[in-house]
Amino acid sequence: MLDKTQTTVGRREILVKMASAVFAGLVAPAVFDQLTSPSDASPALDLPKLPEPQPNEDVLVRMLRDLQRALQKPLEQRRWVMVIDLRKCVGCHACTISCAVENKLAAGVVYRPVLEEEIGTFPNVTRRFIPRPCMQCSNPPCVPVCPVNATWKRKDGIVEIDYEACIGCRYCVTACPYQARVFDSGRGYLDETPVQASRLLGQKAANVYAEAPAYEYGKAWARREGQSPVGNARKCHFCAHRLERGLLPECVATCIGRATYFGDANDPDSAVAELIGSPNVMRLKEELGTEPNVYYLV
Amino acid sequence: MSKRFALPTTPRASRLEWVLWGLAGLGFLVGLYGMYDRFVFGHLNANYGSYVPWGLWVAAYVYFVGMSAGVTLLVSAWYLMRRPLASLGRLGVWLALVTFTTGMFLIWLDLGQLGRVWRLYLRTNFMSMMGLMAWLYLVYGIGLALALWFLWRSRDGEPRVMRWLVYLAVPLAIAFAGGEGALFGVVGARPFWSEGLPQILFLVTAILSGGAVLSLAAALFTIGAPNWDEVVAVLRPILMIGIGVTLLMEWAQVSMGLYSAIPARAASLNLMLFGPYWWVFWIVFLGLGLVAPLLLLLFVRPTRLTMGLAGLLVAVGLFGSKLNIIIPGLAVSELQGLERAFTGPGLSFQYFPSVTEWLVFVWVISFSALLFLAGRRLLPSLLGRAETQDKPELSRVATPAS
Repeated sequence: MLDKTQTTVGRREILVKMASAVFAGLVAPAVFDQLTSPSDASPALDLPKLPEPQPNEDVLVRMLRDLQRALQKPLEQRRWVMVIDLRKCVGCHACTISCAVENKLAAGVVYRPVLEEEIGTFPNVTRRFIPRPCMQCSNPPCVPVCPVNATWKRKDGIVEIDYEACIGCRYCVTACPYQARVFDSGRGYLDETPVQASRLLGQKAANVYAEAPAYEYGKAWARREGQSPVGNARKCHFCAHRLERGLLPECVATCIGRATYFGDANDPDSAVAELIGSPNVMRLKEELGTEPNVYYLV
Repeated sequence: MSKRFALPTTPRASRLEWVLWGLAGLGFLVGLYGMYDRFVFGHLNANYGSYVPWGLWVAAYVYFVGMSAGVTLLVSAWYLMRRPLASLGRLGVWLALVTFTTGMFLIWLDLGQLGRVWRLYLRTNFMSMMGLMAWLYLVYGIGLALALWFLWRSRDGEPRVMRWLVYLAVPLAIAFAGGEGALFGVVGARPFWSEGLPQILFLVTAILSGGAVLSLAAALFTIGAPNWDEVVAVLRPILMIGIGVTLLMEWAQVSMGLYSAIPARAASLNLMLFGPYWWVFWIVFLGLGLVAPLLLLLFVRPTRLTMGLAGLLVAVGLFGSKLNIIIPGLAVSELQGLERAFTGPGLSFQYFPSVTEWLVFVWVISFSALLFLAGRRLLPSLLGRAETQDKPELSRVATPAS
């Protein structure tokens, strides 16, 4: 028979542990946000040590290794490119959704839609899926049209937008031949949903996500009416905030078919440099001379 | 107060003018809700978005600024040719300023960040057509305001400085009327826009819309149009030639685009000609805006009624042409399948202005109309000698100009 004292102590221990867990659950998001906020970014990254190359290792590990090597170089010596293998893309749209989650994209804002194309007629028919991030063009037509110099091409190839300079004229949105730029009109996914007082249902409960700041271009952007990025042009930026921390872009990390590759094209040992040399590589609208830095394997 | 600055007696408003005041006032009140919506809710209730980022307000801005340039060019040309249209010229300067203000107001309201408009002047990218145009507009607006000031001070005379302002105004007006076309023409991503024709077409339609609104203003308002024969002798050929050239250029644009069969360009043309809003091109622009007024001018005696009606039809029709440049150029997907890839507000190629967009449009135009009418009432010295208030002789036939 159990000693009554031991039972009482056991219950107390359980209650203490439960209280600790609840407390940790309440404070963890705030603590986590503090740890990952851009203001804590350090130029000297403490990157995890990756294992030595293995014969059949996951390509994500290789790309992380490529990324770490690139981050040791000065900014101007990197050329970030993305290679998407259309033979592997299954059209799951996970990259689209994970990008929206990572960047806290609002309703009507999408950085990486996946185009679906049906070719041929039955029985000789196939479907092709084409993810379309921002091409980060070497000759970006969106940059010279901006009347206030709110967008420019960085030395590492990423085309950046200064959210605090953008006046929202949308000239760059019209100028992009890939329609990669979007206008954030301030809409939210929770607009016109019922406001419930409960902690489980309705707008108040779900707003925790909607009000969480997006970390883009090295800053935390809380979603407030009239404040950037509301009223701004927005686009894919190869998850620059993740690159700074030695992380691959979210779409690359999420892809279930390992169809998206990312790396420094100036590094001849990188996966992307190898793939760009493939005979079946192509770029969208090459005839326009925009020199996109997203390559497709067909 | 010197006699020079004393306001002359203002004649009583005619019945027509009361009707115009009433319509403008009604539009002002009705459109107020749209302005409230715009300032409180931002762009939430607008139908433009990411795939069709420009809509009614951008078309209206292009239209009114072009009209202002056209009025300025015509009035300046008359002035330089020493034609005796001093009073209509003064009305034209006021009209040019009001239409310019209308266009600027609308494009400001279209911005995503209203409070950052100062960046256009302090952080200008002069490689951007929009950045260049911002400065052209500023200089033009200041020039118009100065012209108005000197005219107001001089009452009936012609101030000497006007000649220099005209020398400045003519190249400016040509620059930004054509520059508006270049604003679209430099966008290589839109084949419907990126050809050499829009720049010239914008200039031609600017002059035509300027002539149209001057005809309408001259026909409506007794004050400012003392010599009706002179008005007809100048404006009638301008309207007819302008309509003819516009028809020719539209034919060139449509026929070349469809014949070349380049899918990206032809898709926009097909949307314009045969899409759900085909009637904007065929009925509003072509029928009412060009063919009907041309027939009116060719075959009907040029009374105030016919000249005013021709001007009104051309003015309305040309607004349809601006809508037909902007929206079909944007409402065609640049990548096949994009419209189905991800859905959401603003991620559609179907566009029709929302109620908010229409209300704001109505409010701004009504405000401008009230401003114009008030200017005529409060600043009659601006518009030359105040005439006795007779009813407009709408049936008076112009005698052939000597």
